[in-house]
Amino acid sequence: MENLGYLLAAYAVIWAVVFGYILVLLRKQRKLKKQVDALKESMEK
Amino acid sequence: MKAFSKIFVIFWKDMLTEVRTREIIISVLVFALLVLVIFSFAFGTGAEVTELAAPGILWVALTFGGVIGLNRTFAVEKENSRLEGLMLCPVDRAVIYWGKLAGSFTFMLAVAVVVTPIFLALFNLPVFLPRLALVIVLALIGFAAVGTLFSALAVNTRARDIMLPILFLPVVVPVIVSAVKATAPVLAGSPWGEMSTWLQIMAAFDIIYLVAATLVFEFVIEE
Amino acid sequence: MNGNHNLRNGILWGLGFVLMIAALYMVFAYVPTEKHGGIVQRIFYFHVPVAWVSFLAFFVTFIYSILYLWKRETKWDAVACASAEVGVIFTTLVLITGPIWAKPAWGIWWTWDARLTTSLVLWLIYVAYLLVRGLTGEPSRAARYGAVIGIVGFIDVPIVFLTVNLWRTQHPTTIIFEGGLTSPMLATLMVCIVAFTVLYIVLIIQSAGLKNLEAEIRRLRIMKAE
Repeated sequence: MENLGYLLAAYAVIWAVVFGYILVLLRKQRKLKKQVDALKESMEK
Repeated sequence: MKAFSKIFVIFWKDMLTEVRTREIIISVLVFALLVLVIFSFAFGTGAEVTELAAPGILWVALTFGGVIGLNRTFAVEKENSRLEGLMLCPVDRAVIYWGKLAGSFTFMLAVAVVVTPIFLALFNLPVFLPRLALVIVLALIGFAAVGTLFSALAVNTRARDIMLPILFLPVVVPVIVSAVKATAPVLAGSPWGEMSTWLQIMAAFDIIYLVAATLVFEFVIEE
Repeated sequence: MNGNHNLRNGILWGLGFVLMIAALYMVFAYVPTEKHGGIVQRIFYFHVPVAWVSFLAFFVTFIYSILYLWKRETKWDAVACASAEVGVIFTTLVLITGPIWAKPAWGIWWTWDARLTTSLVLWLIYVAYLLVRGLTGEPSRAARYGAVIGIVGFIDVPIVFLTVNLWRTQHPTTIIFEGGLTSPMLATLMVCIVAFTVLYIVLIIQSAGLKNLEAEIRRLRIMKAE
């Protein structure tokens, strides 16, 4: 089981980065949705 | 050959400006020589260094000098808003590209003509090497083809001076590698066969990028 | 129309999730340890698909850049840009997992072999792509410049690969992956490739959708101001 650390490190990096990007996308989606809602409100006035 | 004469006009105008002001060429020359000298101090100029590192040192100097020179290709145009004026003329956009390309190439060639003999002298190599001239011309065509296109682009971005090298250098990696690999046999006096593949790569790169940039240039300067 | 999109996206996310679980199972439980490589060799099953997807991503950017310059609609540029972003992320993963695998397997962090070097140059080109887009003031100009770089940069890829290959075959210190692929190894690799391709598609759909939304918001704001 030598080098198990390397194996786990490689997979950890891949998952961390992929999930990190997904989180970034989710946050951006929330922010944009708020902007759209605000715009729609002000246009109805 | 109306297009050719228009290209020549653009080219000649740039040349006259440069000869009159001489500002860019002198600074680029000094910079390239500085790079050469610094690397000579860093690596030394003994026989082992000459064999291993000399071609690389020459091309680092020509590449970085080239990038600095290319930066100026469209900078003057932007500063004086001359590009709009140029655009108003019923000129095919590709003509502007080729005019500027001729200017950049000539500029870099002038720098190479001065830097190379000094380089050869510093490393105690024979000064008359016509094959080296071929390598330099092929490589500089590649630099000019890519650099002229990216210079027009970079000039409109916020970090314009650093944007050109960042765009330019990765794309011309094949030219740099080929130039260095082709230079080594020339300096060692080896037969033609050793460098022919690298010359072919550079020639192919030049043709591909001249065509691609000609096609795509109009999208960069349209407003 | 939106309902169909949501259904499609949901299915894709679900599919991607299932495939990833399957991939993980196959890599860690199913496939036997390769003779020469030891357990570190299992990195191969994710390293290769990630590299493949990164090339796919830049190819997609290339195609959609051409489409954008031709048709000038935001939706083409949104995909081109999203694909370049995902491409950079995946290329970064290639450049990280490669050395993590190389060190225990062959004792060195880095080698200038053709594939790794091409990935490095690719990374540099597309990071420049993202930088230019970020540093260009006006959005339509940023899209145009991005498209130009997306096209011109991609043309370089085969040239760089060929040149570096030639350069390196003169120095036979290259690492050769010994042995072929047995069928469980091949099956595992295939599942991983499909899993990561689906992940790529899902990420592109999300990211491009957000960029389209951003553009729409900009348009609405301009309309409101008038």
